[in-house]
Amino acid sequence: MRFFIGAFVFIVLLLFSVSLLLPTKEKRIFSDDALRVAALSRDMSSTPETYEGLLKLLKTDKENLFREKVELGRDLYFEKKLSKNSDISCASCHVISKDLKDKNIYLDALTSKANDKTDCVVCHLSDQSATDRFETSIGDGGRENPFHLNTLTTLNAALAKYQTWSGNVKSVEEQVGLSIKDASQMNLSADEAVERLSLDASYMKRFEDIYGEVNFKNIEDAIAAFLKTLITRGDYDRFLDGDNDAMNKEAKKGLAHFLNFGCKGCHTGVSVGGQSIQKFPLRDYNSVVDVTNSFNESQKGREVATFDFNAKMYHPFPFENRGGFMGKDGQRLFRVPMLRNVTKTSPYFHNGGVAKLREAVHLMGKHQLGMNLTNAQIDEIVEFLRALEGDVVEFNIPSKKGEL
Amino acid sequence: MKSSYMKIFIIIMFLSGILQYSIFDLSWQYFKTAQATHIIGSLLIAIFLLIPYVNMHTYEFMIVKKAKSMSGVLLGITLFFIILSGIYLFLVGNRGGDILGTLSFYIHLYGSFVLLYFLFSHARKKFHAKPLVLLFFALSMTFVDNTYAQEKLTNIKIEEGVSRYHNEDWTSSAKCKSCHEEIFDQWADSNHHHLVGTNPYYMVMENLAGADMGEEFRQWCMGCHNPSAVTTNQKRTTHEMDGSLMPNVLFESGSKRLLDDFKAHGNSRLEQGVSCVACHRITETDSKGNSAYTLKIRDRKKYAFEDSTSEIEQYLGEKFINSNPQVHKDSYSNKLYKKSSYCASCHDEFLPDESKRAVVSTFKEWRDSPYNNPKDATKHKDCIDCHMTYLKDGEFAPLKGRSTDGGVVKDDVKVHYFSGSNHFLSGLKSKEHEDQTLQLLRTSAKIDVDIKDANISVGVKNVGAGHHLPTGVSDFRELWLDITVRDAKGEVVFSSGKLQEDGNLGLDARPFMKVFGDEDSKPVGLMFWRYKKMISDTRIPAGERRVESYEIAEAKTLEYPLKAVVKLNFRIYPQWVTDAVKRAYPQLPNPDVVVLEKIEKSFEK
Repeated sequence: MRFFIGAFVFIVLLLFSVSLLLPTKEKRIFSDDALRVAALSRDMSSTPETYEGLLKLLKTDKENLFREKVELGRDLYFEKKLSKNSDISCASCHVISKDLKDKNIYLDALTSKANDKTDCVVCHLSDQSATDRFETSIGDGGRENPFHLNTLTTLNAALAKYQTWSGNVKSVEEQVGLSIKDASQMNLSADEAVERLSLDASYMKRFEDIYGEVNFKNIEDAIAAFLKTLITRGDYDRFLDGDNDAMNKEAKKGLAHFLNFGCKGCHTGVSVGGQSIQKFPLRDYNSVVDVTNSFNESQKGREVATFDFNAKMYHPFPFENRGGFMGKDGQRLFRVPMLRNVTKTSPYFHNGGVAKLREAVHLMGKHQLGMNLTNAQIDEIVEFLRALEGDVVEFNIPSKKGEL
Repeated sequence: MKSSYMKIFIIIMFLSGILQYSIFDLSWQYFKTAQATHIIGSLLIAIFLLIPYVNMHTYEFMIVKKAKSMSGVLLGITLFFIILSGIYLFLVGNRGGDILGTLSFYIHLYGSFVLLYFLFSHARKKFHAKPLVLLFFALSMTFVDNTYAQEKLTNIKIEEGVSRYHNEDWTSSAKCKSCHEEIFDQWADSNHHHLVGTNPYYMVMENLAGADMGEEFRQWCMGCHNPSAVTTNQKRTTHEMDGSLMPNVLFESGSKRLLDDFKAHGNSRLEQGVSCVACHRITETDSKGNSAYTLKIRDRKKYAFEDSTSEIEQYLGEKFINSNPQVHKDSYSNKLYKKSSYCASCHDEFLPDESKRAVVSTFKEWRDSPYNNPKDATKHKDCIDCHMTYLKDGEFAPLKGRSTDGGVVKDDVKVHYFSGSNHFLSGLKSKEHEDQTLQLLRTSAKIDVDIKDANISVGVKNVGAGHHLPTGVSDFRELWLDITVRDAKGEVVFSSGKLQEDGNLGLDARPFMKVFGDEDSKPVGLMFWRYKKMISDTRIPAGERRVESYEIAEAKTLEYPLKAVVKLNFRIYPQWVTDAVKRAYPQLPNPDVVVLEKIEKSFEK
């Protein structure tokens, strides 16, 4: 008996000490140029500045992406007719302003006589984040998403291989159609959408010029064309393009962590995510011996998360499971979110369960990488994520005939 | 248990206890370890070893009557008092409010020398410890610590080598509530707490500043409004969300949200705005304004377990503070805090460019006023003498009470309502706050009225404010005269200072305020940072009287007696400002017009 008690105590002590015994070793330190080379070699790349670069990135050609089509798409993006009650447009949730150059948006909204913009839009329109920052999306007639899923940004969405939280959708064109038809989004049938636009002479003419006719596929195509031009570019891209001063020291350290720790394994590609479907949380800390301890800040910086006993209820996610969404096929499989502009798209995770970016980074470290990030590491990673913030590039898109 | 072990235990406890004594001036790092060791160690030893051991002794002495030792009895009695006082110190603490706490502290301190003396004299083998113990005892008596209730300036230097703080460095104010509940509750609904995410006017203005001048410009606002965010490298102020709704924090009293947040996330989530430590860890100010202060958040003395996330450790941490709170007091108070120059670091504000044009100059106004009278203490009044003193029935009535639960009863507790002029935002949350502010506002001015010939002249005297009236962001304050004159028949023959239908002040009103203009002397409206030229400045300096005269038309044909009703009205924000803020916060009500003074007077021909 005494032996078993001794053995038990020994094992428990070992479990407690293992995380403390492992060193918090410094990972590789990069010079600026080496950091760039390392990032580029791991399939990370910058967004283009020119129309030609854009075509190359999207693997499309001039015949498929020209000014008239993009402008039609933009108008449709802001078109409230495309929702059942004609009260919302794409831009109601994917909040962005029609004229990105307008610097007086905010002041005008505050002081205009017409009381057309109120609430959140007033302040957040100038963010140009193309999302509404809500926990759950709100569709036609005020209907919330049945799974409490929040709105994804449309910025850079065209660069992702998979769309939506579960990653079931493969292209923006497809997703545009689904969003219009979805009962908790625009809630409008394909036929009715075509009918409504056909009644508008100006739309009729524009569709005829571009496609020859109005049909649902063309509506999808036009809006998708506009989305394909919503590409952001920021400090991170300038750094990758050779400007060592574009990112500050902390952000560079953050990028090094991003490469060293393995974040880049999933958040990769030009969109820094959106290229694969992965399990979350990867480490399911639900057994009696629990290493979650998610909000316990005392043992940071260890390679192995701290040991603890778990007396909590079973929890599929390290935050409240509002909406009960379990990912693709109910297997907790999620499309890896894109990190471009992540600083502008709180709250985080599919149901908006985490409000702060630092907490989100901490949870990702714990559950996906199995490590307790230190405060300083989180700061640096957040600084890097800030460098991923960017403005929408104003491409000089030629007309159908090729005129600039 | 061998008695030699017991002696070793007692001596260890004595040493770890005596090391905390102020004459040793132990460095903080060792002090807190010694304290924790002392308290936890003696608890364990006392309960598991010492008490059974002493019981055995007592049994032998009283029942078996085998042993006979005078020194043993005295040792036992002393030990009893030491344990009793120790337990009192642990459970209740020496917070200053009850005499028992102070008594326990001294019994525990000096009793320990007595204990040691008897311990040696009780020992079977005598050794010459007596002179040593006596010397020690005598020495300690000469250094009786009388500085207990005093505050001294800290000697901490600027934190060098610290580039930024982390969220965890900023102790949440919610933590302070457990011992300073009353002060916390006062602060919780005050304007100092609601300076950022919960203040709709601020949020709109910071966003506007960011949109107009570039995102970086927000830091100018945040320096004073949001020190925790600035020092943790946040780029902007954020507001709360409840799912897809912005919570209606305007009416939420007692900082419920902050307390909930602290419960769920501890210190890992940053508390924005001016928190307890933001003010109470300012170590230097140079009274130049624009957030010119030195913060030392990280470099402060914390007791063992003070920052722990575990509940048991937190409980112990609080007990450690209570049992010997001097260091805690010293860490968070400073003589500087009573001086106006301390407030100046934020209540003086200028444009962050080479012009340094003054936007808010409350401190400078006070400095040049009769209230700044260092030669005559009876006439000298600092900021806190009005703004942190309790008011009752319209008079300053220093509040007798405690600032710590169970602490010393003070004659003038400095209340943390931070009454100023903004009765509106704090009033939405707490009527007590609104009442305090309105009382303060009404001490500020007196009016008089006279009608001569065809003129009505009204004098407004700034009798109570140690600065201009209005001060602060006086481009967004409305203080004006509302005048109605009726003739013998009761018909209105003259009227001025009425509100228009849209809520804005009538064009005929003459508000006491300043109006900023741009290069072309056009009013800057909301964007006060565009201020280039002063268009008008009609504020009333401290102690001065301003007379406004109006002409009554057709005065000669009027039927006397004329009856004049004059009101001195105040509105915290002009309607056009509220209208703009309401676009973003539709739930915001309109601020009331407050009557500060009112006189009615009849005039014969």
